[in-house]
Parts: sequence; structure tokens; C-alpha cells
Amino acid sequence: MKTRVIISLAVLFFTAQFFIGAKEIAGPGKPTYISFTIPPGWPKPAHDIFANNKLSEEGFQLGRKLFYDGRLSKDGNFPCASCHQQFAAFANYEHDFSHGFNNSFTTRNAPALFNLAWMPLLHWDGSINHIEVQPLAPLTAHNEMAENIDSVLKKLKADTAYKRMFKAAFGDGIINSQRMLKALAQFTGCIVSSNSKYDKVQRGETSFTQSELNGYNTFKAKCAGCHKEPLFTDNTFRNNGMPINTSLNDPGRMKVTGDRNDSLKFKVPSLRNVALTFPYMHDGRFTTLGLVIDHYRTGIQVNQSNLDSLLKNRLPMTNQEKNSLIYFLNTLTDSTLIHSARFAEH
Amino acid sequence: MNKQRNRIFFVPGLWITDQQLLRRTLVHKQYYSTPLLQRFFLLLISIFFSFSVFAQKQTGTLKISFINTVNGIPLVLNDSVYNNSFKETYSISKLKYYISNVRANKASNPQKEKNSYHLVNAADTTSLHFSFSLKSGNYTSFDFLLGVDSLRNCSGAQSGALDPLNDMFWTWNSGYVMFKLEGSSPQSGQVNNRIEYHIGGYAGANNVIKKISLPAAFEVIAGNTTELIIETDINKLWLGPNDISIVQSPVCSTPGALAKKVAANYSKMFSLKNAMIIKN
Repeated sequence: MKTRVIISLAVLFFTAQFFIGAKEIAGPGKPTYISFTIPPGWPKPAHDIFANNKLSEEGFQLGRKLFYDGRLSKDGNFPCASCHQQFAAFANYEHDFSHGFNNSFTTRNAPALFNLAWMPLLHWDGSINHIEVQPLAPLTAHNEMAENIDSVLKKLKADTAYKRMFKAAFGDGIINSQRMLKALAQFTGCIVSSNSKYDKVQRGETSFTQSELNGYNTFKAKCAGCHKEPLFTDNTFRNNGMPINTSLNDPGRMKVTGDRNDSLKFKVPSLRNVALTFPYMHDGRFTTLGLVIDHYRTGIQVNQSNLDSLLKNRLPMTNQEKNSLIYFLNTLTDSTLIHSARFAEH
Repeated sequence: MNKQRNRIFFVPGLWITDQQLLRRTLVHKQYYSTPLLQRFFLLLISIFFSFSVFAQKQTGTLKISFINTVNGIPLVLNDSVYNNSFKETYSISKLKYYISNVRANKASNPQKEKNSYHLVNAADTTSLHFSFSLKSGNYTSFDFLLGVDSLRNCSGAQSGALDPLNDMFWTWNSGYVMFKLEGSSPQSGQVNNRIEYHIGGYAGANNVIKKISLPAAFEVIAGNTTELIIETDINKLWLGPNDISIVQSPVCSTPGALAKKVAANYSKMFSLKNAMIIKN
């Protein structure tokens, strides 16, 4: 009889534990999960980048703090944000190459960071296959942040603010590389540019001027083959017929695939915010949009063996078309993004 | 009478709701005043415990151990000097490789290890063996991947054996180094006579992931551990199917043709030395 009572009580006790546990899952102290919104009319992202990295407000905020924290670099001077500035749509304003540790330079132009969820591969040569592992590249590169993961984690673990924020984002205070990278991906993956004048015109909220409209028509006729709407890139790798920069001898996509056919191919960059992301091309060789257009009008080296087939006849354009095109490209600037407090340093 | 009731209550665990058993107890009142859902969970917990007791009787443990050797002699890092088949001498300072997707096969129902990712590191004796539970029975072979399957190469930040902290992830060209050997050789023309083989590549033509199948007749007895001792011969890296000499190829650090040749060689380095049952 006594045994029965004890055992029944024990079973009840364990059941109660179960219910207390269940309450905790939904209760306070857990991350506030948020959803990632795909702008109306846009295609589905290339990967569901948050499928194994549940997006939360706390995770996003942790990622934002990491993005702006110089301690991710060896000497403290090079946070992610040093080469990815919000006012330049997270590109590096007016820099062909960026500064790195010990007075060094990078060897490619820092790409703008937005709409990353729609990018199947990252970097100019597509060498990075997932948004979560991308930060490892600049973090460990000798001419960028020049750090190692072990040392960064030690710095983070020594900071009580990080302990608190990792706990808020992931439920406990464990700080490891996976969580650091997932938090960074929550921040960078959320940077979406979809509120330029172009977008407002598409939504019927405003209209183009005559010059912008003429430029849009030129864009559709000459540029949209690679810079596909609404992302203004098709994320392919192409040789656009630039002479090789012999001080770099950068083989582009071939560096990753080892395939000769991929020589001098680079990723088609998005034209969104293009007015802010000068200088242009993978080596920042063109300082203005006018020079870029001139390259396509007259500069393409048509004798390059794997020149993109869309460029075989160059892209002939009158001066008037060129000027209108620049008007149109300026409508792709998203002032909401560059002024958004959500993406700014806190 | 009382004794019998107790026994019914204990053994199946399921009949706790039997009114006859609990009618006159205090607990009975508590129990029936609890919501139906909680009573349902009580039932589930009882079933779960019954099954776990039952399942335990059907499973044993498989322990996989690696002995790294060169020409049959256990590898000693740094100090020992070895000869390959081209009479080139070398010493090894670092040896690490991934073993993943471990599977034991029998006539039906092969047993896969869950979350099966291991980094064997010659410098860390605890990394030279691992164990997992599986159904008891007679097994005919055993296989695993030498390397990390392609999916985990492109699924973002990983942890545990796959943590980039282990220095086995290429940061400049995403993907795991599947096999890493470093050391020195007087035949190497590199700085400090360095030899360095970082073998990786998970996609398309550059794929170096090797499935290693070892015929192995072994028995797993419920409640006991069976140990498979696998011997590796590192010297196979240089010899056949592809002859690779240190003087010609002291370094391989990118995916591609040379990496594939090295991987084809080292995929032959595993053999089953022993299978034995350790009574628990």
C-alpha cells in the first residue's frame, strides 16, 4: 500500500516536471522569433537561409553587435562594418580596395551587402557556399581582419554583455563559433533592399520622370539580360570583356572551379544602390557609372575567347541613351536602407 | 491479494488507471482529479519505459578504434623517420582525417550511427576511437566515408567535430579538408623541407570523398561491446594506384587533379586488424 502511494506520487511528480518544462518553452526568457518577409512579387530566396537558423530579434541584435565590433579583428580596427558601410549600401564607399590589418589592401572590391538570401553563392568568384560561413573568410584573411576564431571567441567570452546576448539569443550563455556565425547571418541575411524609387514605381506609389523612363527602357533592352529584375542580377558568373589587371592576374571563377572556361568570370553584381557602390567592377577600376557604360559601349575586348555571348557585339548606345540610363540607375538607390536605424550601429 | 495488486501495478505499468487498484487511496483521488491530458501522458510515460527496457535488451555497442601506422609500425609524430616506396624519407608532424556516416551492415536493416562525424587526430589519443549503440546480431561488413559528406560541406556553420575551430575548414573556398598530413622531408624543395597534403573538394569533378567498405564478420551481443580495430597504413598515400613522389608533389592544398590522386591512394590505407567482443 505504502509502496503504491510512493510510486504513484513519483509518477505524478515526473508528469508535473514535464508540464513545467513545457511552459518554459513558450514562456519569457526565450528568444522572440521573428519572420523574414519576402517583398511582394519577388522570387523565393535561393536558400532558405533561416531554415536551420531560426530568426529571432535577440539573434539579429547579437549579429548586429558582432558586425560592428572591431574585436573580431586582430588589432581591433577592422569590424565587418569597416568595409561594409551602411551609407554605401554596405559596400566600401569610394574604395577600389579596402584597408586591412597592418596597412594591407584587399585584392577585390568589397561587395555591397543586401538581398543576400537570394544569392546562391557569395563573393566575386562564388567561393563561399553559405551565408553562415562567409565571415570566416575576411576574419582569417591576413590582409583583412587577420584574426583566428579561437582568439575571437576568447574575446567574446570575456565580455559579460556578450554572455547576456548569447543567452538571450540561444537560450544559454554558451559562446561558440557556430552561434557567432549564425547570429551574424541573422543580421546580414535580414538586410533587404526593396524600397528604392524603382520599387515605389513598381508598386504604383510614384512614377518615373521622362528621362528615368527612357533609361528604364534602355536598361531593359541592353542590361536586363544579366541584371535581371527585381534583384538586378541573375547571380551568374560571366566574362564581361575587361582586359586583365596584370598587377593582380585574378582568374575569377576559375580559381574555384579550376575550369579554363571560367577564366576571368566574375559574379554579376546587383545594380540596386549602384549609385552608392562606386568604384565599380571586381577590382574597382571604374570610378563612375559613365565609365562603366562606356566599357560596355566601346571598351569590351571582343576577342576574349570566353567573352559572354550577350556582349559579342558590345552594347551600342547613344549619348542620350547613356544619360537616361544613368538617371534610371539612380532610381535604384534605397534611402530607407541606408538610413534605417535597425541596421545601424547601436 | 494486496501483493498481487502491487505486482500488476509494477509490471505492465499501463494499468495504473485500473479503478480496482486505486479506489481507496489518497493518490487515487489526486490522480482522477488531474486533467485527462495529464493522465494520457502518464500512460505514454509508462509505455515509453516499458519499451526502453525492452529495447535495451536488443542493443549492443560497437566501438571503432583506429591505429595509425607506417608500414605496420605505429606512427610516432615528429620524431620518427619513415621511407616511402621511392626511398624518400619523411617525418609526420600532423595527421588528421574525418570519418563520417559510419554504418554496420547485416542481411537486413543496416545500422547507421546517428550524427556520425568524427575527426581522427593522431595527436589526440581520445580521438582514435568512438562508440555507438546498434541492434544486436551478426554483421557482414562495415563502411564509412573518409571525409565529410557533401551536404555538410554546404550547410552553413557546424559544431562539434565539424566546428571550423578544428582548422579543417577552408575559409577562402568553402568546404572541409577531409584529410590533412603535414611534416617534412629532405626531398621537399619547399620552405623548411615542408610536406603538406590538405586534401579536400566535395563537389562535381573535384569530389574526394571516399566510401571505405571493409568486409568484417562480427557479432554484436546485446548488452556487450564489440570492438573493431582498424589499422591505417599512411605510407599508402604515396603508392598506387597513383605514384606520388615527394620530390614532385610535396604540397597539395587545393581541390583538383592532384588532390584526387592522393585521395585515391589513401582510400586504400584502411584494413580491419581485429574484431573482438568485450564482455561488459
